Amino acid sequence: MNKPIIIMILVCSAVTLLPRIIPYFASSYLSRLPRFIRKCMMLLPVASLGALIFPLALTDFGTEWYAGLAGVAAAFASSWLRAPMIVSIIIALAVTSGVIALV
Amino acid sequence: MGKDIRMGIRDGFPIFLGYFTTALAFGLLTRTSGFTFVQGVLVSITNFAGSGQFLMMNLYNAGSLLLGIALSVFFINSRYIFMAASLATRLADPRSVLGRLMVGFGTTDEVFAVASLKGHKVSYAYMAGLIFTSYAGWVGGTAAGYIAGSFLPEVIQKASVITIYAMFASLLGGEASRLMKVLLVALVSAALNSIFILGIGISTGVSFLASLLIATVAGAFIYTDEEAGIE
Repeated sequence: MNKPIIIMILVCSAVTLLPRIIPYFASSYLSRLPRFIRKCMMLLPVASLGALIFPLALTDFGTEWYAGLAGVAAAFASSWLRAPMIVSIIIALAVTSGVIALV
Repeated sequence: MGKDIRMGIRDGFPIFLGYFTTALAFGLLTRTSGFTFVQGVLVSITNFAGSGQFLMMNLYNAGSLLLGIALSVFFINSRYIFMAASLATRLADPRSVLGRLMVGFGTTDEVFAVASLKGHKVSYAYMAGLIFTSYAGWVGGTAAGYIAGSFLPEVIQKASVITIYAMFASLLGGEASRLMKVLLVALVSAALNSIFILGIGISTGVSFLASLLIATVAGAFIYTDEEAGIE
């Protein structure tokens, strides 16, 4: 087995997992943070959603970016109408495949 | 306890699907990059991070030095510091060391979004169900992609990219149907991230982190304390 590849994998594992794990061991410190910072922490999940979708949901499809947009719109609309997440995803998959196949 | 695990597995199933299909592409990428099967699957077992792993492969293929790869991967992952700090305040029992290690290991974008938008504090049993279902999809998809990725029909390969984004859009739709202000905050982060990446050409990791932080602070001004859920 190629040694540099294994070392690279383990180094990347460390720089991925440490930022995720360490904050859970700093919680007594976190609860003493100012009220505004704690409010920001509560809003982080909602704020992340927009940037997690755009622009990558479009650029991942290259010139067929509209297929990505159609899928995102379908998932958003169906969940707005209270469809369970798994149903939204299946609808989005069908819409995106349909757009790619037809256009 | 058993009920919480089952609830976690159920909530994790959409992530399983999204991860499995995304990991198929990753598994295929490790194969075409000259990794052995064990090395390819080992990346997903030890990293469990979509964007970081794809970045690592891109830089490896571009012949980057280890230090450059490590710094870039750290940077694209630095958002997890904020996500983990945020999710830490929503754990029902913040004391268990093993529990915190497990949740930390599994704090991916998707697990974070699903668990923190649950609307109440989450138990370790719930998180275990959620994380291991997601992890099974990620590792299983990588293995399947390495072995069979090139046999998938092209339309399916292309369309499966939408799964993860559909999941985020679905979370957004659910939140927005409860409180319209969600859309305003999402619009800020989506617009900033698009401008940074497409307009200015900032790298994805830096752009995501900046958009996330600016939109969060904007959100703190848009939301009342009660809407944000702090007492």
